[in-house]
Amino acid sequence: MLGLIQKTGRLVFKWPHKWLDEVFGNSLNPLRHLGSLTIFFLWLVLVSGIWITIFFHTSVDGAYESVEYLSNDQWYLGGVMRSLHRYASDAAIVTLVLHLLKEFVFNRYRSARWFSWMTGVPLLWLIIPLGITGYWLVWDQLALYVALISSEMLDALPIFTDSMARNFLSVESLSNRFFTLMAFTHIIGLPIFLVFGIWLHVFRITRPIINPPRTIMAGALLSMLLLSLVYPALSQGKADPAAVPESLALDWYYLLVYPLMKTWPAGAVWLLLIAISLLLCLAPWLPPGRKPAVARIDLENCNGCERCVEDCPFGALEMAPRSDGQKYAAEAIVLTNLCLSCGICVGSCPTATPFRTRSVLSPGIDLPDQSVAMIRELVTDAAQGLKGKQRLLIFGCDSSTKLYDVNDAATAVIKLTCMAQLPPSFIDYILSRELADGVVLAGCANGDCQYRLGTQWTQQRIDRERDPRLRKRVDIEKLALLWTEPWSDFLNPGAAVTAFRNTLVAAKEPSVAPKGHKVLLRPVGVALAWSLFAFAAGVFTLWPPFSQLETGNAIISLTFSHASQRVKQCRRLSQKELNELPPNMRKPSDCPRERYPIKVSFRADNVLMYDQTLLPSGFWKDGESTVYNRIELAAGSHELFIGMSDSGRTEGFDFSNRTSVTLAQGQHLVVEFDHQQKTFVFK
Amino acid sequence: MALLEWKQAFSVGNASVDHEHKQMIEQINQLYELLGQPTTAVTIEAVLGDIHAYISAHFALEERLMRTAGYAEYENHKDDHEDLLDQIHELMFSFSENPDIGRKLLENKLSDWFGRHFASFDARLHRELG
Ligand code: HEM
Ligand code: SF4
Ligand code: SF4
Ligand SMILES: [Fe+2]
Ligand SMILES: [Fe+2]
Repeated sequence: MLGLIQKTGRLVFKWPHKWLDEVFGNSLNPLRHLGSLTIFFLWLVLVSGIWITIFFHTSVDGAYESVEYLSNDQWYLGGVMRSLHRYASDAAIVTLVLHLLKEFVFNRYRSARWFSWMTGVPLLWLIIPLGITGYWLVWDQLALYVALISSEMLDALPIFTDSMARNFLSVESLSNRFFTLMAFTHIIGLPIFLVFGIWLHVFRITRPIINPPRTIMAGALLSMLLLSLVYPALSQGKADPAAVPESLALDWYYLLVYPLMKTWPAGAVWLLLIAISLLLCLAPWLPPGRKPAVARIDLENCNGCERCVEDCPFGALEMAPRSDGQKYAAEAIVLTNLCLSCGICVGSCPTATPFRTRSVLSPGIDLPDQSVAMIRELVTDAAQGLKGKQRLLIFGCDSSTKLYDVNDAATAVIKLTCMAQLPPSFIDYILSRELADGVVLAGCANGDCQYRLGTQWTQQRIDRERDPRLRKRVDIEKLALLWTEPWSDFLNPGAAVTAFRNTLVAAKEPSVAPKGHKVLLRPVGVALAWSLFAFAAGVFTLWPPFSQLETGNAIISLTFSHASQRVKQCRRLSQKELNELPPNMRKPSDCPRERYPIKVSFRADNVLMYDQTLLPSGFWKDGESTVYNRIELAAGSHELFIGMSDSGRTEGFDFSNRTSVTLAQGQHLVVEFDHQQKTFVFK
Repeated sequence: MALLEWKQAFSVGNASVDHEHKQMIEQINQLYELLGQPTTAVTIEAVLGDIHAYISAHFALEERLMRTAGYAEYENHKDDHEDLLDQIHELMFSFSENPDIGRKLLENKLSDWFGRHFASFDARLHRELG
């Protein structure tokens, strides 16, 4: 089931991936740099954000105008910065989601990778509120909607006693202090946590790719600038609590769940979010897999040279003080819970060479399930079966080309976990002993290595740029490196192998230069790809529009708090009762603090629209009861009635009021309780 | 008579490096002795295979220590190591083709290499690692 989902996912990734490989070239394909591309977009957000902050007024009255100033009077700079700020945030969500999906469909999140995956999930919980608070600060119609719904959601949490949502229904009650708090959260609070979170997410793996290649950065920046100039980010009219716009342009990347609040109770929305997060957190163990045996150190053959530590892509190796009394200072140790059993460390260990035929072939570090000695045996066995003049020995990793069907008398395939598991001396061994006429290493394309750095390390070892180096005497012409895409399990690799076999005869490099017309088309493809990306990062900021209200409706908000009467009257204590109390507790009267619940009914044209009993807040049930409800009503004339009882009576009301109103479309009528006059008012 | 001999002057002042140098010299001498007796090319190749592994590991460690110490002449020293590893490989196959040539190579080139490398490259390490 899981396998099927992942396979389908790979199929979906395949076509854009292939196309972009052709346009950008393998290693500059943005789809291979999604994590670092996300970081780059966050840099853009940071830089443009600093510019906006300089001009921003942190007050209810000033915020909107200060942002308008940027967009109108300073459109060429401030306006562009503002648009960049918005669109780069949206682009970050696009790349982030693709990053998550890609790790998922290529199965790079299970086993020891759980840490990277798990630390990714909180990043979602930081970046989404970051966007939401950003939209809040503009203080336009969208901001009002965001503020209202966010507050409704927060009110559903048992943290705040008073209703926050009530704040946003009238501008007078919205304090500058609260607005400042929002600005602080957006500009300083959340970003600090996000930076720390990203650091936690990547610090543990070896050499994380933090910056994408320059050309990708340039493309990303230009596409965002283009989008900013063509569709500058604009506000949607100053926030006006007295009106509800019929239709809003929602940024769906950040506000996807908000429209749910129209029909779902806040509790259900929270449950959905928590369920998704839990599912994501638990994904690495769903279903629990069997962990292959991890790398093991053989101290007899380890002198503490640290090469394995340098090459492990997952930070699963460490140096420790020598424990066996040999004359060395240090030894390598495996952190078993981080080890993915990729074998890359084995390929780096200097004592892992098949030429060791006198001593037991046991390197300093080895994989118990597929040791170097076992690989050598596989090689010898396979070689014995090979016939013909161009005998090929192919090493294939299970994550790239599935070479099952390459099956003829002159070809043998040996499966490894990762190409970098093979010490380069094996190639020398095979060719010098004429066990085969050619060797093929078939692994994952660079940037998409299932074990992150395996391809890179192998290529560098072959190129004599990394230890252990391939020895000079090896004839490179007899070696082919076949770095293929992770969806190659859909391809037939036979053709590539045949091509290499033919080059063995011709002893020439296979020509890989693209044909003429392709060279010309490349810039067009690059431009097209980035334009498409800009479109994808922009389109859902406006479309589809969201309507808060059915056309022709108005909104009525019931919003007030009220302290009801106490259940028991105060009573003077008698002298006898006083004497029984300890002296420090003596007081003249006993006042039980508990209050009655309040009962509120609202009718429109004699139809009951709202009828609730609300408990007093506080542990002792001695606080105010809070009413907050939004009711949609068709525009036109209505008879409205509101009643409330606060004395525990079951019949009738202690306070009530009625009125006739004519509601305009999109009008927002607020029903409050005036505590001085002790009466309801319609505003 | 032994081909190579360890001298106090070879010491680089680091216990593990000195230990390995002694081991290496011992291994080379054993090989040299072996060559004085009737042996097969296969045996010699096997002994060389082990020596190659041991020396590779030694170089890896020495290079590690140099990098940690930020040794300025690292590149040159490293190149000389790589050069020897290439030579030992050549030697392995010279033996299988013609043991006599192999023996000469060992006597001349390899003992030269060790003498030169110990005296110049490794001796200079003393200041860095000692
Ligand atoms: C702000 C959001 C995020 C940023 C900036 C980010 C960035 C990165 C970077 C730079 C890497 C290292 C890539 C490499 O060098 O190989 C990485 C790895 C990874 N990320 Fe993220 N990431 C984010 C969110 C997430 C999320 C939400 C998830 C999944 C829930 C996730 C899952 C992973 C995994 C599993 C790896 C490890 C890949 C491997 O070991 O091969 N990331 N991320
Ligand atoms: S097998 Fe080796 S390289 Fe791979 S994760 Fe384990 S310790 Fe690291
Ligand atoms: S590479 Fe081999 S010899 Fe070097 S520290 Fe690791 S296990 Fe030990
Ligand atoms: Fe040296
Ligand atoms: Fe040395």
